[in-house]
Amino acid sequence: MKNQNTNIDYTLILIVVLLGLTSLFALYTIDPYLPAKYDNQNFLLKQGQWYIIGSILIFILMLIDYDRFRQVTWVLYGIGMTSLLMLFFRFPAGIIHEANNAVSWFILPGMGTIQPAELYKIVHVLIIAHLMFSHNKKYVNQTTKTDLWLFAKIMLVSLPPMALIAVQPDLGGMLVLASITGAMLLVSGIRWRVMFGILGVVLVLIGIAVAVWIFIPGPISEFLEEGVFNHIKSRFYGWIYPEQYPDSGYQLVLAMLAIGSGQLGGKGLSTMEVYVPEKHTDMIFTAIAEQFGFIGASFVIILFFLLIYRMIHVAILSNESYGSYLVTGFIGMFAYQIFQNIGMSIQLLPITGLPLPFLSYGGSSTLTYLMAIGIVLNVHSRTKTFMFE
Amino acid sequence: MVDRKKKAKKSQLPFRLNILFFVVFLLFSVLIIQLGVVQILNGQEFQDEIDRTIEDTTKIPVPRGKMYDRHYNVIADNKSLYSITYTPAKGVQAVDRLKVAEDLSKYIKMLSEDDEEKRAKQIKSVSERDRKEYWYLKNEDIAKDRLTEEEAAEMKPAEQYQTMLDRIKDEEIAHYSDEVLEVILIKKELDKAPYLTPHVVKNEDVTPEEYARVAEHLDELPGVNATTDWDRDYPFDSTFRSFIGSITSQDEGIPADKEQFYLTRGYRPNDRVGKSGLEEQYESILRGRKEQVLYTTNKDGKVVDSEVIVEGERGKDLVLAIDMEFQERVDQIVREELETAINEQPYVNRTLEDALAVVLNPNTGELLAVSGQHYDRGEKKTSDAAYKTVYNQYLPGSAIKGATVLAGYESGVITPGQVFIDKPMKFAVGAPKRSWINLGPVNDYQALQKSSNIYMYNIAMRIGGDYHHKDGDNISFTNTTPFEDMRHYFWQFGLGTKTGIDFPYEGTGYVGPSNLRQPGLLLDYAIGQYDTYTTMQLAQYVSTIANDGYRVRPHFLKEVREPTTEEDQLGPVYETIQTDVLNKVVMEQSNLERVQEGFRRAFQDQGGTGYSYWRNKPYQAAGKTGTAESIKQMDDGEWLETINLSLVGYAPFDDPEVAFALIVPHLGEDNDYSINHTMGTRILDAYFEIKEKRQTGNTDQQDATQSSDQDEENN
Repeated sequence: MKNQNTNIDYTLILIVVLLGLTSLFALYTIDPYLPAKYDNQNFLLKQGQWYIIGSILIFILMLIDYDRFRQVTWVLYGIGMTSLLMLFFRFPAGIIHEANNAVSWFILPGMGTIQPAELYKIVHVLIIAHLMFSHNKKYVNQTTKTDLWLFAKIMLVSLPPMALIAVQPDLGGMLVLASITGAMLLVSGIRWRVMFGILGVVLVLIGIAVAVWIFIPGPISEFLEEGVFNHIKSRFYGWIYPEQYPDSGYQLVLAMLAIGSGQLGGKGLSTMEVYVPEKHTDMIFTAIAEQFGFIGASFVIILFFLLIYRMIHVAILSNESYGSYLVTGFIGMFAYQIFQNIGMSIQLLPITGLPLPFLSYGGSSTLTYLMAIGIVLNVHSRTKTFMFE
Repeated sequence: MVDRKKKAKKSQLPFRLNILFFVVFLLFSVLIIQLGVVQILNGQEFQDEIDRTIEDTTKIPVPRGKMYDRHYNVIADNKSLYSITYTPAKGVQAVDRLKVAEDLSKYIKMLSEDDEEKRAKQIKSVSERDRKEYWYLKNEDIAKDRLTEEEAAEMKPAEQYQTMLDRIKDEEIAHYSDEVLEVILIKKELDKAPYLTPHVVKNEDVTPEEYARVAEHLDELPGVNATTDWDRDYPFDSTFRSFIGSITSQDEGIPADKEQFYLTRGYRPNDRVGKSGLEEQYESILRGRKEQVLYTTNKDGKVVDSEVIVEGERGKDLVLAIDMEFQERVDQIVREELETAINEQPYVNRTLEDALAVVLNPNTGELLAVSGQHYDRGEKKTSDAAYKTVYNQYLPGSAIKGATVLAGYESGVITPGQVFIDKPMKFAVGAPKRSWINLGPVNDYQALQKSSNIYMYNIAMRIGGDYHHKDGDNISFTNTTPFEDMRHYFWQFGLGTKTGIDFPYEGTGYVGPSNLRQPGLLLDYAIGQYDTYTTMQLAQYVSTIANDGYRVRPHFLKEVREPTTEEDQLGPVYETIQTDVLNKVVMEQSNLERVQEGFRRAFQDQGGTGYSYWRNKPYQAAGKTGTAESIKQMDDGEWLETINLSLVGYAPFDDPEVAFALIVPHLGEDNDYSINHTMGTRILDAYFEIKEKRQTGNTDQQDATQSSDQDEENN
């Protein structure tokens, strides 16, 4: 009891510190290879600043008992939704920032740009965890009806922000939210039969959509074809046949060249032969894999795996289900982003714009991940260990 | 109860977390496995791919070979120019080129500043599409917004682009400033450049300041280079130009109809090649060897290293047989004579437009001067039309009688010294045939000296098999191939065949049908009134007679010289063009000498057709005149009867060193100016005058100047 405030997970901190150092080191080696338009940018220094700011945020978050987050959850959700709606309506136009054909940023005078979708990920975890915790406290007698009700509530809060992010368009960001929701549903306490029932219904609906598209020509299938399938098709071809579809496969070809040519041991420090766009952000893994080969790349993946392992550990240890829910949400976030980011650069998944947690340069994203770690550390620090358990 | 439930719920959490952990473990395992496949199994392939794509060779054009006349005066030269070139790297997009164009427009001006007409033309060359493409690049978002997603989904990318261009409003592109036009003009050039191939953006009127400014800012202008380019320069202007020919501009590139030919020989589509005349004929010698540079490019498309793998070499130089001083004189003579003939009898000679002359060395076939002048009746101006000596064919008249007489000897229908009575021949049908006057009895010498038609008719009749013609009879041939037989002899002199001249095209004359039902045509053939010949063919014919029966190929090229880096110096001889004997006429030497003697008498002995013009000349000339009846259609469609005057000859008789052929087609029937003789004598006068001047001039100067030209000649 008395050491509850000193129950700090130093292993997790060590992992994050190692990842941070890897990020700074990678940015340092990339610097000479960046296109001329970034000549005036010192990404290394800026990323260092974000890490420092993030550490301060972690410290502040640690001071508050995570149980009290629930009191402000709905407020935060409101702020998050408002931000996303502002982006959707491009209002006020003065602070809307567009890049790579996506309207995903606010531009704050003197501070640079901020990406609400990144910070919203935290809110997403908070709101679902809050819903699940309140629900389970209220409906002690679990029935199919209560399970469905919980599912419906989770969907009600999850789908609107996902839709708003998807239309920015930021497919990657939307999928991260989906992954968070999915991971949390798994631990929500909804019973397997209900879960499989829901899954079955969803699969049938998708089946119907495909059947409509194939068998019934007409406005619906046209809508599906133009709005959905064409986009998917283009990504799909760019993924499977990158050489033949240079428009959508261009980045993949370059990423594969960079990673593949790193081979087992890498080309050595600061040796990069392949130009890959966005090397300092989404494609930072290619820089590591090219310089340090399979050995260096595996080291990074194992580091990430240890991170997840450590978080699972925290989630299991926590004696409050709310804490477990929170950590699970972040596991869903990290696991998906890591898998998607690395997977897309080695042709496991189609390319989607998504940063690699902790390594990619980026203010909003780095702060988001550090805050997530802050909450995980908070949960761990307030986990009571009982000698008899 | 409550607690138990809660406990149960809590206890399922670790289990489900373990499932989650297991899923994450699987996903990460897949990552590691796939990473192993990409990096360890296929890693070498990717490395090979990188190594493969980073090296590229660029061929850099070298200056063309020059052309000299036989006395090493430059007649086709290279003028070096400051030049701004653009060599795009792989994967350069339109936006990148626009950026380069915008930057470059700060340093160079494309619009002409002092030539209003040119400036207007340049502004006009910026098409609506050029303006729209520029607007599109500058306002891509707006342009894209004008295309709804539904529309876009139905269109191919090219259609989308076209539609977006179509939707740009006229007023949006109407008021572009000169600065913008500069950018568009530059970008138009940049767009033409194939990747890794230098393309000239501007090489006309590049000022030293522009050159310096661009050179200073090369690092801001990816792909741009400030170099020196060359342009073709012809110091003698129009003289002999129709034979020198011309080369294509960089915009024209290699001619479309010979694209395959050039591409398989290592040319690039924007290479400048000879498109006519000797520039085309000797393209392979003049082109030189391009410098080949191996560029190492990274995947970014940036050139990181360049290495010369094949040293470039300027094209080899051509030394032509032409004597430019003489050529200019001949041009002048032909022009003056043509104008005189027209001015003396403007109405009679209203059909007269051209005068053509070929002068060559009969022993070697070296062409010394080839001249043709054309009088434009609309503009009342004379201009160069030398190509007509090779392209255009005319009825020559009696000039070819030497060939007829030799055909007579060799076919055995006449013997040396054979006499025929020259009086009108009467036939069952048609008008009697006659010589210009009744000459009475003539032998073979006199037949040539006085130009007897009747003599030639008799030869033709006998070749046809009709030995016993009496006045009023029909011509009755027993030989079924009389035309073929006669042409067989004529061809040996080059009359009716290719002369083999080193020029991309030559006419070989009209060959009339061998119609046995009109045997009179064979008689016409015998006096040069049936088949037509080019001036060049006549020149080869008279050379063959002068050269004791050896038919040599007329040629412009005398020797090929290796290129040198020294200015105004000649390189060592690479190849000397040898005299090319195409055939030796299969005729007795003694018979040939009889024809030569007949030619001599025509010029030198009283009664000869050229006697009054040639008798007093210090050089002993021999030759044959010709007058042919021809017709010409006037602009109003009316056909007029005209005459062609021709003349072939050589000098000196004993040891011929110069032969010539001239044709002045379509003089009026009542023309009384013997332009063929005045032209012929003036040309040979000029030839010997220049020769003498050179000989005395050389002795005067020999000590004073030791020019390299003379050294070369002495070699």
